[in-house]
Amino acid sequence: MNLYQWLLFLHVTGAFFLLGGIVIAGILNLSAIAKDRRPSQVASLYGLIRFAVPLIGAGLLLTLVIGLWLVHEADYGYGDGWVVAAIVLWLLASALGNIDGKYQRQTGELARRLAAEGDTPSPELRARLRDPRALAISYGSGLIAFAVLGIMIWKPGA
Amino acid sequence: MVAIVRPDAWNLPLFLHVLGATLTFGATATVALLGFAGLRGDPERAVWLRGLAFRIGGYVLVPAFILMRGGAQWIADKEYPGSAKTPGWLDVGFIVTEPGALLVIVMLILAWFAARRPSFRGAVAVPWLASIYLVALGIAWFAMSAKPGS
Repeated sequence: MNLYQWLLFLHVTGAFFLLGGIVIAGILNLSAIAKDRRPSQVASLYGLIRFAVPLIGAGLLLTLVIGLWLVHEADYGYGDGWVVAAIVLWLLASALGNIDGKYQRQTGELARRLAAEGDTPSPELRARLRDPRALAISYGSGLIAFAVLGIMIWKPGA
Repeated sequence: MVAIVRPDAWNLPLFLHVLGATLTFGATATVALLGFAGLRGDPERAVWLRGLAFRIGGYVLVPAFILMRGGAQWIADKEYPGSAKTPGWLDVGFIVTEPGALLVIVMLILAWFAARRPSFRGAVAVPWLASIYLVALGIAWFAMSAKPGS
């Protein structure tokens, strides 16, 4: 196997880690908000989301670093429209994901505290879980990452 | 090294295939996480987590798997029409998805029982089968992306 094949494998591995991690976090988040769950149940689901975080982090790093290397190796240009669009969307998804991560961590902490204090359903927790702005940031970040996948395949303008 | 340019008509099936594969990977990993978490703790919590693993398997993993496999067949028919000989890296993908479908079915049956009976011993197999399938998916994405031997 040549260098290009190895780089492509590592880049695709990064994409699987990133998108797979987003899917794990998304499914568990949806499971938490779909029904009125007890704080202990929300805390359990948010506790599992933490396993997706290193996957997303490794995916972000691999997709960007190996992706930039691939642009050079495959004779594309760093100024090509699809490369610039992918980098801008990658940055946007990362920034939104970072905001979402902090919010979700606080929600998980609230759920754990409420679980320890009697585990009764809480309007505060429910409001945090279903906050429209937070959901827009969270799912927007994931959808942007999937849009980058589309750009990688269609390479518009290449 | 110049990247190989695909015909535009291959892009949609490839996108659907990769989209299905990433959803399959994420859903399988979620089933594994819920399955392992459902082996510990009090019986009520364990049954709830196992039930969730079963529902995610049915509502997310199965449709994602169908999307992945359908997209794969669509692009394979375009790239290797008729009786054209398929390369080894493509065969690896089919080897992973066809017995993989059987593994997913067995896993879902066990997950269904595990969600109903707290003492069901087969519950332990669910997250392990999901983990085995994650490894198989990793082998497939190595073959699909690096195309060794091509």
